[in-house]
Amino acid sequence: MEKKEKRKLSLHKFLYNDNTVGYTFALPFIIGFLGFTIVPMIVSMYYSFTDYNLIKQENFIGLDNYIRLFQDVRFLKSVRVTLKYVFFSVPLKLAFALFIAYLLTRKSKAVTFYRSLYYIPSLIGGSIAVSLVWKELFSSKGLINSILMNLGIEKVSWFGDQKLAMVPLILMTVWQFGSSMIIFAAGLKEIPSTYYEAAKIDGANKGQSFVKITLPCLSPIILYNLVMQTISAFMAFTQAFVITKGGPNDATNFYSLYVYNQAFKYYDMGYASAMSWVMLVVMSLITLLIFKSSKRWVFSEAGQE
Amino acid sequence: MKLKKIMTTLLAASLVLGLTACGSGKKNTTVDNDTSGAKNTEQSSGTKKDESNGEKIKLRMAWWGSQTRHDATVKVIELYESQNPNIDIEYEFFDFDGYFTKLNTLVASNTVWDIFQLGGNFPTYLDKIVPLDEYIANGTVDTSHTTDAYLLTTQYKGSQLALSSGVNSYGIAYDPALFAQAGVAEPNDNWTWDEWKQACLTIHEKLGIYGSSKLDDFISGCSMGISQEDYSLNFFAPSNDKLGFDDPNMLVDYLAMRKELVKAGAYPDPGAIAEIKDIEGDYLVTGEAAMTWVASNQLKSLIKAADRELKIAPAPRKFADGPSGSVIQSSQMLCISKDSKVPEEAAKFINFFINSVEANEILQGERGIPIMDTVRMALQLNADETTNTMYNFIDLIGSYKTGEEVNVISPECKTIIEDQYKLLVEQVIYGDKTPEEAAKEIFDFASRQFK
Repeated sequence: MEKKEKRKLSLHKFLYNDNTVGYTFALPFIIGFLGFTIVPMIVSMYYSFTDYNLIKQENFIGLDNYIRLFQDVRFLKSVRVTLKYVFFSVPLKLAFALFIAYLLTRKSKAVTFYRSLYYIPSLIGGSIAVSLVWKELFSSKGLINSILMNLGIEKVSWFGDQKLAMVPLILMTVWQFGSSMIIFAAGLKEIPSTYYEAAKIDGANKGQSFVKITLPCLSPIILYNLVMQTISAFMAFTQAFVITKGGPNDATNFYSLYVYNQAFKYYDMGYASAMSWVMLVVMSLITLLIFKSSKRWVFSEAGQE
Repeated sequence: MKLKKIMTTLLAASLVLGLTACGSGKKNTTVDNDTSGAKNTEQSSGTKKDESNGEKIKLRMAWWGSQTRHDATVKVIELYESQNPNIDIEYEFFDFDGYFTKLNTLVASNTVWDIFQLGGNFPTYLDKIVPLDEYIANGTVDTSHTTDAYLLTTQYKGSQLALSSGVNSYGIAYDPALFAQAGVAEPNDNWTWDEWKQACLTIHEKLGIYGSSKLDDFISGCSMGISQEDYSLNFFAPSNDKLGFDDPNMLVDYLAMRKELVKAGAYPDPGAIAEIKDIEGDYLVTGEAAMTWVASNQLKSLIKAADRELKIAPAPRKFADGPSGSVIQSSQMLCISKDSKVPEEAAKFINFFINSVEANEILQGERGIPIMDTVRMALQLNADETTNTMYNFIDLIGSYKTGEEVNVISPECKTIIEDQYKLLVEQVIYGDKTPEEAAKEIFDFASRQFK
């Protein structure tokens, strides 16, 4: 009798334990994370050492896929192209986001409306529809060329010129600055106005207080946005897939597009897996570099050394 | 406090319930599309009211193609469903690239559609196809109205993998009015690439438009291009395990010609080519070019889109008195997948698709000239002008002398070789490589794929 009571009590205790409740609610995420992230990652790690091609039984081929990568001219070009894209698109996007956020932190009734307006492009994200619109805009008879021609400038073959094909893709990314902007706007509001008042009394102009107060106070947020946007820029796919298909002459053959083509066009799953792992390493390294460098430029108010 | 406890328990319980419900397989949620009357729109996937005992046989089918093809195929499916109320066909259609992306993922997950369309790349999917031999033997599929030659186009190592849903051949569609306007003579049956090039240049010079819209570079430059050198040559050897020629220089002229034409503005640059989305957007249709590359079965869609007189000429040859390089091939075929639980029913539908005169009157040879005499004769009785043009064209190509062994199918590595070739064509155009270097490179690249 007493034993039963005890067991009931312990079950009760187990059920109402904070940990149990916590894990129960976290379960959907844990299942999803295991099923859709961890397991596929392990499988892809294994496939990267095989010649798996979707259809036939795979053979273990050791490091061959990795060795092949560094002899593959198209792969090396895709790395260069992706780095170029990240290098230009991320700073431009952040600068633009900060600029708009700065404008939109003024006290005005229409601010919420404008913020939503500028956020919309990010809501529709890297969608096919946006890419198709962008393709039309920059096509030979598209809006951009019409404007150029009205200005008396000769029309440009945006997607036919190796050097220019990247420009519409970068502009499209920059245009989707909304999510960084919202974060910047929140950060800007956190900066105590007393700082600015003090600076004003000391005779600082707007530019000086922006450089000396806004930027340092905002630096942790800049770091966050920089890391997030760099990672997402490395994974850019839709624009190139829809608009240029990687062309002309592989000038926009982004890393993830090349991975996709190897996997789903040439059925070379093993090679594509190896490529993804190299990408993970490269991205981790660059993120690490950003974090390392942050010690020099991120200002932390608490003054922790 | 008590409320909190109750809430937590309830939430946890609903969560667990929700999870198990997810895993318990799909519930029967048949959508009733028929409430609005008999009208079944083209977009609906054909799910119909389940009247009888609820034991409808479901067949999944997919294909790629133009809008004309989608509309006609959907009508045929609806016709079949109306004649066989126990069959419910769920269909999907794609553009070419989208189709193969989807197919490949389905292959990996062993859930390929019951009936699926394949072209000359079928050797890649051999493991997924249920051959028709058994169904032909037991009479489910009727092949009595066709010839061995037509059956041969979809056989592999003696096994009948499917029946061709039509035969076609490649040619050049052109606008005779634009030719006349530019003062260029219309092509004859054995015109050469030199004449084609000259026509492009003259048209561009006189009219300011492109001479030609895009060609299928790999076919015109490689697979057909090599067969035009000599009757005994193919780009891929008939055994499909090596290349069928050994002199890379045979690829040079085409590359050089492509570069020259782009440079002159008589042929669209790679950016302009990327802007062509479908047949409806082809520069010949929009009047910005006087010629384009066409598979004979696409002629109908092309003329429909252009809405003016277009003619078709055979693809140009390398030498006027040399081989044409053109062959009659199966445009596509409908296959039964090994993942199908009802292959017999799939076979019945395929038989209907190929043999039914009623169905083919809807299809109107959009997938190519039908291989069944009965169907062909019925179609020819009231064929329109375009259909007759297509028949005459196939007859003409069929009358050409060909080599002993012509390879109309392709090995698995074709896609990657084709992509590499197209990349090299662009590199030649941009001056990164000379035609000679590119020819050597694609030859070496293609050879390596077989090792």
